[in-house]
Amino acid sequence: MAYFPEEVVEHILGYVTSHRDRNATSLVCRAWYHIERRSRRSVLVSNCYAVRPERVHVRFPRMRSLSVKGKPHFADFDLVPAGWGARADPWVDSCARACPGLEELRLKRMVVTDECLKRIAGSFTNFKSLVLVSCEGFSTAGLTTIATNCRFLKELDLQESVVEHRGHQWLHCFPKPSTSLESLNFACLAGEVNAHALERLVARSPNLKRLRLNRAVPFDVLSRILGRTPKLEDLGTGSFVRGNNAAAYVSLFAALGKCSSLKSLSGFWDATGLFLRGIFSVCKNLTCLNLSYAPLVQSADLINIIRRCTNLHVLWLLDHIGDEGMKVVAFSCPHLQELRVFPGNPSATTVTEEGLVAISSGCRKLQYVLYFCNRMTNAALITIAKNCPQLTSFRLCILELSSADAVTGLPLDEGFGAIVQSCKGLRRLSMSGLLTDCVFLYIGMYAEKLEMLSVAFAGGTDDGMVYVLNGCKNLKKLEIRDSPFGDTALLAGMDRYEAMRSLWMSSCNITLGACKTLAASMPSVNVEVINEAGASIDEVDEDASNATKVEKLYLYRTTAGPRGDVPGFVSIL
Amino acid sequence: MASAGSGDEKAAAAAMITLISSDNEKFEVTEATATLSQTIRHMIEDGCTDGGVPLPNVTSKILARVIEYCKKHATAAAGEEGSSSSFSDAAFLEVDRAFLEELEEFDDAFLEVDRATLFDLILAANYLDIKGLLNLTCQKVADSVKGKTPEQIREMYNIVNDLTPEEEAEIRRETQWAFE
Repeated sequence: MAYFPEEVVEHILGYVTSHRDRNATSLVCRAWYHIERRSRRSVLVSNCYAVRPERVHVRFPRMRSLSVKGKPHFADFDLVPAGWGARADPWVDSCARACPGLEELRLKRMVVTDECLKRIAGSFTNFKSLVLVSCEGFSTAGLTTIATNCRFLKELDLQESVVEHRGHQWLHCFPKPSTSLESLNFACLAGEVNAHALERLVARSPNLKRLRLNRAVPFDVLSRILGRTPKLEDLGTGSFVRGNNAAAYVSLFAALGKCSSLKSLSGFWDATGLFLRGIFSVCKNLTCLNLSYAPLVQSADLINIIRRCTNLHVLWLLDHIGDEGMKVVAFSCPHLQELRVFPGNPSATTVTEEGLVAISSGCRKLQYVLYFCNRMTNAALITIAKNCPQLTSFRLCILELSSADAVTGLPLDEGFGAIVQSCKGLRRLSMSGLLTDCVFLYIGMYAEKLEMLSVAFAGGTDDGMVYVLNGCKNLKKLEIRDSPFGDTALLAGMDRYEAMRSLWMSSCNITLGACKTLAASMPSVNVEVINEAGASIDEVDEDASNATKVEKLYLYRTTAGPRGDVPGFVSIL
Repeated sequence: MASAGSGDEKAAAAAMITLISSDNEKFEVTEATATLSQTIRHMIEDGCTDGGVPLPNVTSKILARVIEYCKKHATAAAGEEGSSSSFSDAAFLEVDRAFLEELEEFDDAFLEVDRATLFDLILAANYLDIKGLLNLTCQKVADSVKGKTPEQIREMYNIVNDLTPEEEAEIRRETQWAFE
């Protein structure tokens, strides 16, 4: 059989969009490698220190969309000290030089300065989308330069980012007389927002489909905005208390009724049950509902809403809904695929194993679970595993550390064991509670597809970690905190770390000597020791230093060698 | 539906073109069918179709399939033109929808071929510059490589790996370490 001509291969690859499939096609043969790299428009860099920005441009000269991930996941729990790194500027600067046609930039857990935003605003003439997830380091002044200069901006999403408030003029600065905005999310902004500017912006953004406001936007402003956005599919409301008056209330809910495309609702800041009744009319159409910012809504009122939301795929809640509320979810939402229950007011009712068991029997399509609860049992986990074998992500956080089975007092090994044994497609697992080596043995044996494992305050001996490293062949990320694993476990994984994206260990039992041994035998892996106390490792006496406990270890494979922006409290061994 | 056109269009639609496969088989097709191929359209425009259009790169087996595709889609195109130039009332929308559904079914059935035939159809679509057929068949190949390893893709389409082991290791490493 002859070969596909080059232009045909390029045509075929035009239909191959996922990063994983593009990566596979790049390895088929020399011609496919070059055609793939020359035609790839969307590039994902899963660790900003795994490759140099310049190399990305050489390999993918026609890149239009770049996603870069920075700090390790445990940064979300404040375990990565400020100033650690993951600065966006080397990436933005290299794009500015090599890729003036860049249209999309997505950064996750990175430090983005106003200077960076200015560079973005000034460098890419056809820039369309800026998504900053859990980023920090910039202010509303930076947003002003983006709004002013990016004439074709379709998307500005500041999901969970920390943004310094330096004036609210940024909302004024979007293009006039009309914008191309389709998605605007500034729910994370702490400061005031200019209501008139917001109303005018929405009025001149006819394509807006997704709008997530922050807590500072008053209720009456939302009610006026909604009248102008009949195409809206995803709404994050502002405050339900500020600016709430009878007229606004009536007009908001009249306007909501006209948003026939509305599929996703979030926000509800400061809302009480009384005002939430107004959303009853749209409940049936919703596939996505986030009530996790509404701690003041009573459980009974939450239940009243949820029983009307019969088409939900995604539901985020606070735990004060209680087990009875969970049962209503189970009964009302048969299509639920993702459930996240976060801890709310510690003194209020919480949820237990009973709630999650109910969910598992009612929501058989469930794939993603994040569940903060105050107790769990093995029997419950075994039932959940049986009911929901298609789970791909299971993150269970029992609020009291190291709690045993609430009925039998035994470790939760058998319960988590059942999860990994039944859920063949499980890719992500976070565990808590009293756990021994046994559960890690099960994970190593059964969790063949597992890609990310988070362990906190758990484990028995080094054997546990060794079971996981020897077993889970698809493991990409292992993150462990406050667990007893030591040098033996760390070194046992030596031949695995190049096959994994990263390993994080903090407040474990590892020494500097073991980290040095690891680093010496693995030149392609950066072994970073984070020592906030500040003493430089090299200055201390060698033997004494080797015995020193390492507070935080982060190691990752890289094609770029040691990074050049190491702060004083980090040593790359 | 094709009868909705004007008199001139009818005359044009009635004009016949002869296509000659690599194994010398002759196929009579309407101009409307033939001109789904940009390559043939240009030949017609340049007036070089008298005595038939030789297609030395396409076998009769593949050409028959290509013509089958073009006939169906030429009819559909004519039908669409006919309905959209008229009142777009509910009845016509219904007809449009029925057409599209039928066409989709046709395309799905059309793609039920072995890999070798699919490969030849792609080459023919590429050579004849038939955009719809090229899209359809390339999409099929793209779907077939989704979720596959490089080794599986090579095996499916008989692609010889001409990367040296060192090159392959290097690409694999960079791809997995940085871009996954």
